[in-house]
Amino acid sequence: MVRIPKERELPWAGIVPAPAPNGEQPAMITGNWRTLRTILDKETCTQCRECWTVCPDACIIESDEGFSVNLKYCKGCGLCMSVCPSGSISRVPEIEFEDGVVRLEKPF
Amino acid sequence: MGKKIFATGLGGAAQALRQADVDVITSYPIRPYTAVMMDLARMVANGELDAEFVHAEGEHAQLSIVHGASAAGARTFTGSSGVGVTYAFETYSPIAGGRCPVQMLIADRTLDPPGDFGQEHTDALSCRDQGWLMGWAETPQEAYDNTLMFYRIGEDPRIMLPQFNCQDGYFVSHIPMMTEIADDSQVKEFLPPYKPSHPLDPRKPVGHGPQIFPDQGPALEAARATIFETAIPVIREVVNDFGKIFGRKYPPFVEEYMTDDADFVFFISGAHSHTCRFAIKHLRERGVKVGLVRIRFIRPWPTEDVMKSLSKFKAVGVIETNNSFGCAMGGGILALEVRTSLYDSPKKPLITSFMAGMGGEPITLKEFYWMAEKLAKMATSGKLEKQVFWVGFDE
Repeated sequence: MVRIPKERELPWAGIVPAPAPNGEQPAMITGNWRTLRTILDKETCTQCRECWTVCPDACIIESDEGFSVNLKYCKGCGLCMSVCPSGSISRVPEIEFEDGVVRLEKPF
Repeated sequence: MGKKIFATGLGGAAQALRQADVDVITSYPIRPYTAVMMDLARMVANGELDAEFVHAEGEHAQLSIVHGASAAGARTFTGSSGVGVTYAFETYSPIAGGRCPVQMLIADRTLDPPGDFGQEHTDALSCRDQGWLMGWAETPQEAYDNTLMFYRIGEDPRIMLPQFNCQDGYFVSHIPMMTEIADDSQVKEFLPPYKPSHPLDPRKPVGHGPQIFPDQGPALEAARATIFETAIPVIREVVNDFGKIFGRKYPPFVEEYMTDDADFVFFISGAHSHTCRFAIKHLRERGVKVGLVRIRFIRPWPTEDVMKSLSKFKAVGVIETNNSFGCAMGGGILALEVRTSLYDSPKKPLITSFMAGMGGEPITLKEFYWMAEKLAKMATSGKLEKQVFWVGFDE
């Protein structure tokens, strides 16, 4: 019988508690699928919420300090950038960042 | 102690399903399996069975509905035949990986084209790698018995797997035989209510089937593989328990008939073993040392039992009733498993495939005699004449 090491064990049948804390499954951080990082410029942002409406992964976070991007889950699809009326959103290749090469280490 | 009725394989299965008190049934018509749904619909309408009966828009929907119902904690039943079985193919692995002990009855039918009403085991056997338990009944009685045993095995907390409860289309599904229907109390004693381990429940929410990373996949698959090892002793236990409660003692995996001094045997699964027994009886009267080895479970495949049984003989003829076009040896699926089981055996018989019972044709006594002649020749000469014989075509 094959032995599965403790650190590689998964919950029975992959079943996980729901809802996950803060809506985030800690075992399933998907932001490292991204090749382009979404950058939101708070200085020029008019807080119109267009990006918040279109984000398919609910990655636009609204707080007292304005809007930001949840990079743990953002795939860098660019929808937010394409709808932003004030041009406050841009995308920069992940490889430009010191901590931005996750995808190269892990294929997914 | 129960009652005897004249039942077909599907009629027998329906009686067992009533006694198993299934909660959710999903149907979609295709012959020959559909007769079991006619019986169940009648039972629900007459108030004999308290179940949710859903008429789905196709087999994929049938299976998807029982997947959800099983995850929510219901004992579920569905079924199909032939291309209906393959239409639902996508759903099989998620149901097994989600550890939902759905039972699906397959009354075999050949796959198209053309639309042949006859039966082969290829429809069900095509699904053998999807992580379900799988086995064939030989008679309506065994169809009734297997229905109960499969639920008990599949719902065992050590197993939690769906089951393909297979029977040959027409030969078992539509030919009635005397069948003993047990007392409800016996069924209750044998089959406890289904207890899901992680049910979908709004008061205690869980997420089933989340997306995972590639490096998380192998661990889950390894866990699934080990269940099939655990299943071997669990099946022995359940079949033994069944014998004690119902008085019908089945060998858990491999049944031998007239094999004590046999030089060669037929290896077979399902309905045609019935004719095969009679052929062997007649051949024995002529002094031919032939026997029958019948397998009851294809998944888990009982490697050790098969090796132990078959290594005693000089030649084995595998009656396929299925095909795997272009496979190793060029015959059917069963011979692949049989040969593999014997590769590490110090004593190996000669093994050949008999492509018989194809397209739904019966396998006649004459054909069994013809196959026995081929096997006798091989057993005497010690040489494999051919890897595959197409019965009715080959000289």
